[in-house]
Amino acid sequence: MGIQFTKVNYRYPGWGRETYGAIADVTLSISAKDEFIALVGHTGSGKSTLAQHMNALMFPTSGTVEIFGIPVTAKRNKKTDYNSLRKRVGLVFQFPEYQLFEETVEKDIMFGPRNFRITEEDAREMAKNALKMVGLSENYLRRNPFNLSGGEKKRVSIAGILAMNPDVLVLDEPTSGLDPRGKHTLMELFRSIREETGKTIIFITHDMDLVYRYADRVLVLEAGSLVFDGTPDKLFRDPDLERWHLDYPATLSVLDNVKKSLGWDLDIYQNTVGKAADELKRAVRRP
Amino acid sequence: MKNVVIGQYVPGKGFFYRIDPRTKIIAVVVLMVAVFLLETVWQVLIGFAIATLLVLAGNVPLGRIVRGLKPLYVLLLFTLFFNIAFNRTGVELLSHYGLPTTMVLSPWTVVLMLAATVAWRLLASFKKAKLWLLLAWVIGLYFIMAKISFGPVWSTWTLGIYDQGLVTSAFVLIRLLIIIALSTVLTLTTKPTDLTQGIESLMRPLKIIGIRSEEFALIISISLRYIPTILDEANKIMAAQASRGADFAQGKLKDKVVQVISLLVPMFIIAFKRSEDLADAMESRNFVPGKPRTRIHELRFNYRDLLTGFVTAACLAASILVRVL
Repeated sequence: MGIQFTKVNYRYPGWGRETYGAIADVTLSISAKDEFIALVGHTGSGKSTLAQHMNALMFPTSGTVEIFGIPVTAKRNKKTDYNSLRKRVGLVFQFPEYQLFEETVEKDIMFGPRNFRITEEDAREMAKNALKMVGLSENYLRRNPFNLSGGEKKRVSIAGILAMNPDVLVLDEPTSGLDPRGKHTLMELFRSIREETGKTIIFITHDMDLVYRYADRVLVLEAGSLVFDGTPDKLFRDPDLERWHLDYPATLSVLDNVKKSLGWDLDIYQNTVGKAADELKRAVRRP
Repeated sequence: MKNVVIGQYVPGKGFFYRIDPRTKIIAVVVLMVAVFLLETVWQVLIGFAIATLLVLAGNVPLGRIVRGLKPLYVLLLFTLFFNIAFNRTGVELLSHYGLPTTMVLSPWTVVLMLAATVAWRLLASFKKAKLWLLLAWVIGLYFIMAKISFGPVWSTWTLGIYDQGLVTSAFVLIRLLIIIALSTVLTLTTKPTDLTQGIESLMRPLKIIGIRSEEFALIISISLRYIPTILDEANKIMAAQASRGADFAQGKLKDKVVQVISLLVPMFIIAFKRSEDLADAMESRNFVPGKPRTRIHELRFNYRDLLTGFVTAACLAASILVRVL
């Protein structure tokens, strides 16, 4: 179960008969439980298009996306309730401005659950819980979503999806436009959500530090094709990431430079600043 | 949306692409006046031939114009129907060619007509040739009413198609086609920026009565520029709300209202934000409306404009001549 892509292609219609390829021949399998996946790639490599296939917002041009056992193909099946898939796979878009519209945060978070025919009291309860999950206090329930800061808006928009209690949470660039500290608090938040609930979390990012530190699995898209699917450790041991327009995490680059210029014997593959510092200390103390 | 060609610029090379937009705008207006001066179906046919020749000579993608006419065929059919139904002068064609004109309305004909309609709708839902099916349906109805006369009769009426009705509808149709073709050529071959610059330049004399043409042109060009951007944004908002379970296709009326609000509120907020940003960006580059500015592309007349002007004038003169004589 979970999400299974089989030879999925998607082409955007252009002028006349021309089309533009967005994703090409993607085959991959995402488990419904306990995965923390980073989806990375150059701008325009098809990350967002792939993400929108995960909850049937987009239909493949060819191939099949199987979402919790329900096949999604180019031909829409009239009997399939695609809307119900969006409850199981929650997709948070990059800009909270695209979804916030109610006059209070509570009402806005309740919009999702209410669309799936959940009673008002239950939806209210879900909104409260979701807000707690994203680390905002109950005082926010009565506030106007348009008067919040960028980071708070982002949290509210994530709460709006979490309130539907999806099995898989897909986040399109959740950390864009946040300060470095905000990025880490948000990522820690996802980590705790995942540890508490066992939901699979997929996030799109350009920040390799976050990938190295938080993800268990990385998917690399290059010009629409899935070119890498494996652990971050394996990815960053690759000597030539330039061909996929990716760079290396800061800890890795710093340690690599130290190793090369000072000739120290270092294990450069450290995924947090703390671990990197420990490794340096160890190397310094060594006789 | 992709089939709508009216108001779309398609990049290309050709005679019409290189005429000054001011010339083009004036020429199109003058030619439309000339078309409206014509009185008989032969005259508009000649006009149509000339227009087609011009379009072909100008290397305008003809297929695009034809495709652009598609959404208008309902309008065209409508004019055709009304002119045939209400113009009752000249020779009655049906009786002239020995076809029945007395229509019978009876329970049987009504049942048969309903059956024909159902058959037509069913076929139309999966057959491609919709226009032919429509025609077959109309002819079918005609024969049902004309030939089935058994059983009780509710009422009878007389159908008449008069030759003048046909001629008038052809006249109106062709005139409409010429006008659409002319305006399509204008927008197909002129960049929106050039078009607004042309309008601005042409409206400059209106300063005397207090209309500032630069501001007017600026408003037009900004709105044109932002149509695709806002459409794009609307799509993204719809996707974002759909991922929260808002189903824009189905649902009860009460749900629909909330869903439309969930689309409109973010759209308004984003549009206002955008316009503020745009205003800031323009101000930070010292843009002051109405102040004289230089342009990268100055409009210049050349021999093509002279030629266009001459042909346009000739067309106008010709239609005035045939009108007067």
